[in-house]
Amino acid sequence: MTFINYVAREINCKIVYYGPGLGGKTTNLQYLYDITSAENRGKLISLATEMDRTLFFDFLPLDLGQIRGLRTRFHIYTVPGQVFYDASRKLILRGVDGVVFVADSQEERLDANLESISNLDLNLKENGFDLAKIPYVLQLNKRDLPNVMPVEQLTKLLAVKGEPVFEAVAPRGEGVLDTLKAVARQVLVELRKSA
Amino acid sequence: MMNPSNIVLYEAEYLRLKSILVMTQRDLRAELVLLIDRNGQQIAFEGPARGVDMTALASLAAANIAATDGLARLVGEPEFSVLYHQGKHRSIHISEVSKKFSLVVVFDESVSLGMVRLRVKRATAYLEEVLRGFMRKAESAGSAPKPGPASSSPLYFTDEDIDKLFRLLKPNS
Repeated sequence: MTFINYVAREINCKIVYYGPGLGGKTTNLQYLYDITSAENRGKLISLATEMDRTLFFDFLPLDLGQIRGLRTRFHIYTVPGQVFYDASRKLILRGVDGVVFVADSQEERLDANLESISNLDLNLKENGFDLAKIPYVLQLNKRDLPNVMPVEQLTKLLAVKGEPVFEAVAPRGEGVLDTLKAVARQVLVELRKSA
Repeated sequence: MMNPSNIVLYEAEYLRLKSILVMTQRDLRAELVLLIDRNGQQIAFEGPARGVDMTALASLAAANIAATDGLARLVGEPEFSVLYHQGKHRSIHISEVSKKFSLVVVFDESVSLGMVRLRVKRATAYLEEVLRGFMRKAESAGSAPKPGPASSSPLYFTDEDIDKLFRLLKPNS
């Protein structure tokens, strides 16, 4: 749910990074934090366990600049990927404007990816959204590992609606920016339609 | 046609909301009085708020409320409408304002919880009145045809406008 503040001349949108545990959602955010200068980002908040697994969410507000005189801010969240944190994932999806699915390209994680997409679909519905209609991008992460599935095969199995698909190696930042740009573009285009 | 689920804040409503927050902050000598939506967006605030990151506070407060809502349902309650976190020197009081917004008050040990509750109750009644009108306006704006061409709206971005946005994000070389 976009918040347009004509007083502060700001557009605020919410993007959620979703996917199975240890897939690279938090790494995506950490990279974005590292490459953004301090005046264009807020604090990176990570509510995590002692073992650095996301417990509730990560949050990073990014200021992408001005568009038609309106400052454009994206509030980026990640969800905890471990299966038993489903209640938290549902809460984080409230008011979402766009979703990035971070898939783990390793062959042994295929089932986890599929289960997570199904979970996303269900949790979006429970929040009043439709995966078929919401701005959505698929990221195939961990492309540098030796046991990854071919991109074409993985896309066929995981893509839900012909969405943009990006290969990524999140720790090195490969594909991270392109993914964010793609989902941000979709969100803004959706907002433009409502003008 | 404006998506009725988006929140759009214009100056008239903002000033009315702000005046209620100013009144509440002054009455309580609170460090911060912050109005947020349930998705973690800050709508308006008042107070010195020394060194507090407002964006982070709004996001965490909303997550706190959401998690507490979940806990309430688990134990068979419809909601816990008030959250109170007592610290050694500063405390936070978070309360529901209509179903879509919340009021966050940060105050120090010189202010009693009873006074906070009293002033929050008063502020909530005023805020709900403003927000009711505000949401009604948003719904009717969403369904009414807009005067003038769509291109006159500030939301009518071109693809070039969108492309320019990401120049601030540059990978380290």
